[in-house]
Amino acid sequence: MNNEVFKDASKMSGGRESDDAIIVIDGVYKRFKDFEALKNINMQVGRKEVVVVIGPSGSGKSTLIRCINRLESHDAGNILVDGTALTTDIRNIQEIRRETGMVFQNFNLFPHLTVLTNVAIGPRRVRGLSKSAAEELAMELLTRVKIPEQADKFPAQLSGGQQQRVALARALAMTPKVMLFDEPTSALDPEMINEVLDAMKELAQEGMTMIVVTHEMGFAREVADRVVFMDKGEIVEVGTPSEIFDSPKEERTKKFLSQIL
Amino acid sequence: MITWIRRNLFRSITDSILTVVSASILGYVIFQVFQFVFITGRWEIIQVNLKILLVGRFPEELMYLVGFSILATCFSIASLASGMNRPIDKPPTLAGKLWELFQRFGLIIATSAFLIVLAGDLDAVLFGAYVVLSIFAGRLFGRARRTTPLKRLPGWLWVAINVTLPLVLIFLTMGQAALEEWGGFLINFYLAVVSIALSFPLGVMLALGRRSTLPLVRWLSTAYIELLRGAPLFVLLLLAGVALEFFIPASIAPDAIFRAVTVFTLFTAAYLAEVIRGGLQSIPKGQAEAGKALGLSTFKITFLITLPQALRNVIPAQIGQFISLFKDTTLAGVALSVLDLLNVGTAITKQDDYLGQGLIYESLAFVGLLFWVGSYVMSRESQRIEKKLGVGIR
Repeated sequence: MNNEVFKDASKMSGGRESDDAIIVIDGVYKRFKDFEALKNINMQVGRKEVVVVIGPSGSGKSTLIRCINRLESHDAGNILVDGTALTTDIRNIQEIRRETGMVFQNFNLFPHLTVLTNVAIGPRRVRGLSKSAAEELAMELLTRVKIPEQADKFPAQLSGGQQQRVALARALAMTPKVMLFDEPTSALDPEMINEVLDAMKELAQEGMTMIVVTHEMGFAREVADRVVFMDKGEIVEVGTPSEIFDSPKEERTKKFLSQIL
Repeated sequence: MITWIRRNLFRSITDSILTVVSASILGYVIFQVFQFVFITGRWEIIQVNLKILLVGRFPEELMYLVGFSILATCFSIASLASGMNRPIDKPPTLAGKLWELFQRFGLIIATSAFLIVLAGDLDAVLFGAYVVLSIFAGRLFGRARRTTPLKRLPGWLWVAINVTLPLVLIFLTMGQAALEEWGGFLINFYLAVVSIALSFPLGVMLALGRRSTLPLVRWLSTAYIELLRGAPLFVLLLLAGVALEFFIPASIAPDAIFRAVTVFTLFTAAYLAEVIRGGLQSIPKGQAEAGKALGLSTFKITFLITLPQALRNVIPAQIGQFISLFKDTTLAGVALSVLDLLNVGTAITKQDDYLGQGLIYESLAFVGLLFWVGSYVMSRESQRIEKKLGVGIR
């Protein structure tokens, strides 16, 4: 039974072999009280792949990626991240969290710490780097997201776009194998969306494995290897950007795309 | 000026009546106070008993220890205040700077000057000079932490040094002079300082305990908090005075000051725990989630991310607790017959020289003044710390 689901999953992921998959999601269910958030989700993400998850609000997109680093716990099924299975064992959870970076809709920067400390806190307190080594690394990453001059400021003194780039640098400081993006541009003013998307594009070009929940269809079309359309807790359709956007097969996908495009 | 008066004080007939009535009341009160302070008040009772009001029957030859403790406390407070990471924007003009200094130190300087004049001897003047010196030394040490290689010192260690220094001296003083010899304002001051220092960590632990995922820890913390908050402080103090004798033989029972410190610590910790829990609840869930996503342990998330923000958010309420603790130390005088400032203040009016002359007003006014100055300074400094830590910036 399990094997069948597995085969099914690899079919859905466009025929990729399961051994080069870095994330395997297998028959995952999740419910909040009497609301079924995820119903039998099967999905694989290959190394260096960029997967964009789209769908109406309440479709379970965010819940899905929050299950991958255990910000939510799934009720049934298996999730494997780089060969480690997510169980209730806190050591496994910590290991997976060290390997996955996450960028949130509301940035969630630590307001009492400077920008530099925000970025350095992961390497220093989780990886155990010395203060100077961690800060050097943080400075490098801030340069990469093009805001080294803001290092000594506090998050509240930065614009939304700058804050989200700091959040990106903070996640990258852990040198993760996978990056999860939970609607990274939804809380931004329109003129700041592109600076964040550009930084994400750069990251994708460098070969980072990324799962992106977003409403930015332009980004999905340009950067995604695969687009996953979710509705009511289910994966409705998976395909390349052109398959999904130009010739969607499912009725629900067509309806959603006609509403937003 | 005249238009302002007209607009704000005499806009309508009702306004005018209110203005006249309240101005007369205010004028009357000010006149009475002025008359009491400068004309009818017989302040020699304070002057004669100044030492006993401030330190009780504390042995003369050990006074230097008290002096050192006070100097160390001044040093540490100054050092902590000026060593925080974020300096406040200073007012640009000289007048602005002077005004700020006046607001901060005016009251302390005025009170100190008043006490020195009352004491009227050279030692008091010298001691005042030492206090000023130690404040300056503290500021230098605090600034050094921001600018010199001392920067490498971890923040917690620097805070620990500053907190330990005065506490060690205070405990040393306690060890040297038998506690029965302590008295006056010294008792109130040290009861407050020691209880604050002990109740703060206990309060933090209780607040965390009440939010713990372990049921036993949560129940115990909740039970403790609700029990202690439900009992009147005065009753607890009386209990500590009598009830202990039921369990412990009087010969080895701890003395009154020790009991007072215990009760104040346990009581304040319960209130503080609720204040801090409120602070913890004000921190958005996303903060802990961001910490988890980085792979930080629950312990590190609490002590590096949520707790520092929570404590910062509730500074006013925490200081409020400390101020009320400071004033409540007078209850120990009544409940446990400790010779604190209030007790000494009432006792001196019964001395042979002053008996039956109604000098209780002078005495109580002096007691009230000292407490008011202490509370006011705490309240002002808390506002400064708030500004310094940028509360409200998110």
